[in-house]
Amino acid sequence: MSEPSYDVKVDKDLEDLIPTFMRNREKEHEALKAALAAADFEQLRQLGHRMKGVGNSYGFTHISTIGKLIEDGARSGDRAGLAAQISEYGDYLSKVQIRYE
Amino acid sequence: MSDLAAPAREAPAQATFRVLVVDDDPDMAAFLARLLKAAGMGVDTVGDGKSALASVAAGMPDLILLDVMLPDMSGFQICERLKSTPATALVPIVLVTALEDHQSRVRGIEAGADDFLSKPVRREELIARVNTLRRLHETRKELEGRRLGAEVQRKEALRKAFSRYVSPQLAERIIAEDTGDTPFEPGAQRISVVALFADLRGFTRLTESVEVDEVVGMLNEYFAVMTDAAYRHDGTIFSMAGDSLLVGFNVPFPQPDAALRAWQTARDMVSGFRPVLEGWMRRGGLSTGVGIGIASGEAIIGNIGSPHHMSYTIIGNAVNTAARLQQLAKAGEVLLSGPVYEAIRKHIEPSAARPKGDLALRGKVEATSVYSVQLGGG
Repeated sequence: MSEPSYDVKVDKDLEDLIPTFMRNREKEHEALKAALAAADFEQLRQLGHRMKGVGNSYGFTHISTIGKLIEDGARSGDRAGLAAQISEYGDYLSKVQIRYE
Repeated sequence: MSDLAAPAREAPAQATFRVLVVDDDPDMAAFLARLLKAAGMGVDTVGDGKSALASVAAGMPDLILLDVMLPDMSGFQICERLKSTPATALVPIVLVTALEDHQSRVRGIEAGADDFLSKPVRREELIARVNTLRRLHETRKELEGRRLGAEVQRKEALRKAFSRYVSPQLAERIIAEDTGDTPFEPGAQRISVVALFADLRGFTRLTESVEVDEVVGMLNEYFAVMTDAAYRHDGTIFSMAGDSLLVGFNVPFPQPDAALRAWQTARDMVSGFRPVLEGWMRRGGLSTGVGIGIASGEAIIGNIGSPHHMSYTIIGNAVNTAARLQQLAKAGEVLLSGPVYEAIRKHIEPSAARPKGDLALRGKVEATSVYSVQLGGG
């Protein structure tokens, strides 16, 4: 995976939706960790699939990238890979900077 | 992920084009709604299949953006259901699928989806696809509007044509049951009818002593009562000449109780005419009354006349017999042919009906049994 860009440009007219969006991503991260602990690969696949769709729609390309990797990892049962991606996701959420244009 | 916070619902705008967004991801639904509203469209969002179907039932959207993966049922199932229901089949449906998910696209085509949108969703693509379907949908609606307009005009023309012959209720029924085939067939038909002839006794002679204008007014009073009675029992008026009236039953629609309807019409004609007659007597001392003949049998129905003047009418034995009976009937008397009397005898007081034996009617070879019911004086 290429080095993520923590600098994200979001369309100005979506600005008021972003606080809810980010809160939902934090909840999503917690749900991913819980699903991994329970080895619930179907839940992990669904969460990854959703991240893949919603991330880039708002302009968060890296969320879609991680989502795709989580979806694929859940299908193959790659527990170590999933743990790494979920950790990476948490790190990304803590560092991401949003600019509205 | 049901614990994800739902975004504030987009307030429905007073937009003419309404989109229903069906997505269980509240962020995705909010995103799509925001883009569509910015393009001037009205948006409703729901998060599951059941709510989507309920929303469509409550108010038809102009377009549906439908996510494939929903918690209770799949987007394909919803699409199939809406496309197989005539009322919703024409609503355009855009399935929102993952870009690389070719299998879903094939399944979507099979389910009847009109278009696809890939996640992640790009603003320009969303608006372009929706606008294309919007134009198609509006053209389709305009064509449907024109078709309905033509249909309304056609039915109005039918209504006008029928109202010359039948009661308003029967005209409405003909319009409502209209299957494209007119009940008034252009060709002639041989059918079983009950014919009723009514006529004022000695009216022509009486009017010789009345002013012309007054005669017209009197006839209008008389025919108002007669047609009201005929229409009340769904009779079809085939002719109105001088002071006589021909009403048919069991035509153009079957009426299993045609004889009873004819009898009730006769009864209402006599009773309805009574106050009119009282008025005539007070004004000018004119004494008359309605004589009625009712007979059943086969008749030919069709447009009869020349290219310059056509009349939709019935001819045949039943009509001739009813005419003859009417000529014999006294004021306030109803003469019934045997078969008509047998059909309605349980509705008549036994003492009220008087057999008149077999009468040889003028112009007919066989004698006809006749019953008389005196409903009023002359």
